[in-house]
Amino acid sequence: MSKYLDLSVLEIHRLYQEKKLTPKVLLEEVFERIEKRKSLNCFITLNKEEAMKEALRLENEEVGGILWGIPIALKDNIVTKDLRTTCASKMLENFIPIYDATVVQKIKDEGLLIVGKVNMDEFAMGSTSETSYFKAPKNPWNEEYITGGSSGGSAACVAARITPLALGSDTGGSIRQPASYTGLVGMKPTYGRVSRYGLVAFASSLDQIGPMTRNVFENAALLNVIAGRDEKDLTSAVQEKEDFTRLIGKDIHTLKIGIPSYWISDVVTQEVKEVFNHVIELLKEEGNQVEIVDISYLEQAVPLYQIIAMAEASSNLARFDGIRYGYRTLEAENVDMLYEKTRSEGFGEEVKRRIMVGSSLLSSEKAKIYYDKALSIRKDMRKSFLDCFSQYDLLLAPTTTSAAYKLGTSLSDPLKSFMDDVLVIPVNMAGLPSLNLPAGFNQDHLPIGIQIIAAPFEEAKIYQLASFLEKKLNLDLEGGHIDE
Amino acid sequence: MEKLSVEEVKHIAHLARIFLTDEEIEKYRVSLAKLFEMIDEIHQIKGYDEEIMICPWQSDSSLREDKVGKMLTEEEVLKNAPCKNGRFIEVPVMLNE
Repeated sequence: MSKYLDLSVLEIHRLYQEKKLTPKVLLEEVFERIEKRKSLNCFITLNKEEAMKEALRLENEEVGGILWGIPIALKDNIVTKDLRTTCASKMLENFIPIYDATVVQKIKDEGLLIVGKVNMDEFAMGSTSETSYFKAPKNPWNEEYITGGSSGGSAACVAARITPLALGSDTGGSIRQPASYTGLVGMKPTYGRVSRYGLVAFASSLDQIGPMTRNVFENAALLNVIAGRDEKDLTSAVQEKEDFTRLIGKDIHTLKIGIPSYWISDVVTQEVKEVFNHVIELLKEEGNQVEIVDISYLEQAVPLYQIIAMAEASSNLARFDGIRYGYRTLEAENVDMLYEKTRSEGFGEEVKRRIMVGSSLLSSEKAKIYYDKALSIRKDMRKSFLDCFSQYDLLLAPTTTSAAYKLGTSLSDPLKSFMDDVLVIPVNMAGLPSLNLPAGFNQDHLPIGIQIIAAPFEEAKIYQLASFLEKKLNLDLEGGHIDE
Repeated sequence: MEKLSVEEVKHIAHLARIFLTDEEIEKYRVSLAKLFEMIDEIHQIKGYDEEIMICPWQSDSSLREDKVGKMLTEEEVLKNAPCKNGRFIEVPVMLNE
């Protein structure tokens, strides 16, 4: 069996240019690996036939940009024309979209090969991917452990070296947290950097699509492809086109880096603290200035997030009514019963819980007491972050409070999935860019990550520091891939 | 931590247009109460600026030319409807119930 998938994207690109490899051969290896790692339960729907057709079509073309002919997996909440998109829910089990999300159109135009749609928490609601209607994906480093979530299938797929690239979405840490648990680079771009057109909405003011990859350069290269203003999404930002790889490889000696105090307090386990402290020492040794800073409301970030995310979710998921698309109950004598039974039978337990909480919080006088208050404090929290960036180049923090834990641990506790994301949620609240970088391991040799956070639209600066640390740390991240 | 009453859970489920079985109601009495208890922590926050932020970013140039673009075909519109009859989507009887 060939092992081209163990090569970096740049090495594969070189082989394409030298005509020593074709997209078809690489794709055949992808589908062999999917079969071999079936137990990971990464994929909900495969796109084998169409991907093969596309690979053959590319063979008659000139080799394009560095991601030309590179296989990619897409989180199953990103709509794909004529390819089933389920959001890992019974509600959309048979849903075939009639258009492509803007990011999908962009990756098709660039010549990437869409291998299939990957597993996730149902409608992205969860932090372990265990709320999936199609059962949880497993962590390639140890299949008894969670991948994290909600982009758990994307994480497992890349960590197992099935595809070099994947797209995830991040509403409250759903790219960075699974990236941390599986030893990947995962970027949540600035809110507005990437079009959300065709991303099935969970919480529209927090959701953002982003790349999940094995290294920093490939992450920046994929962001280059998907970023940009889209007239179909009025929350996408007008920004000059930039190359996110441009600062990669440049040394870093004079940065001023802030560490929010709450994020290194006792909410974080000792194993994470040790990995994080090692990174701090390394940065100081190189001459960078590292200081503790205070950001307002980080302690209350989880309840604030719960209010905003669940309120928006209850509104967004009101569209699932059993009429125009999606699941429909067989037991409806009238319209009210059609709505209630369809939603009861089509949604899973966690999704129903969040919709109910959101509906309650938006009802009558509660909207002012909870929702309006959360929006006000959110504004203050963002301001506190922005004030900090007037003095510091970047912020640094652990991504997760611990390494991955065993499957089944959190199912009986409705709060655990939120507490797992306590360190990643505030970035979504403030709309900032943040990247998970693998930084070390715990005693069981499971990966632990750190997050690098920047001011809005400063992703290139994040990639600069991330690539610097990636080189210095020089971790062996092959543990997710079992060699034959 | 108090449980929500059965009536409270039924009311919330109705707001969300979700039917719950008796067994589900029992489960949600506990888990919803836990969530609301956590959410109530925001009452500890005082002295904040009341101006709200709905979204971190919204483009100023959101208007585009008002012209007819590509439209969906009838087939596309009906493609995913779970219950249809010819050119129509079927719903239960709404009048004279």
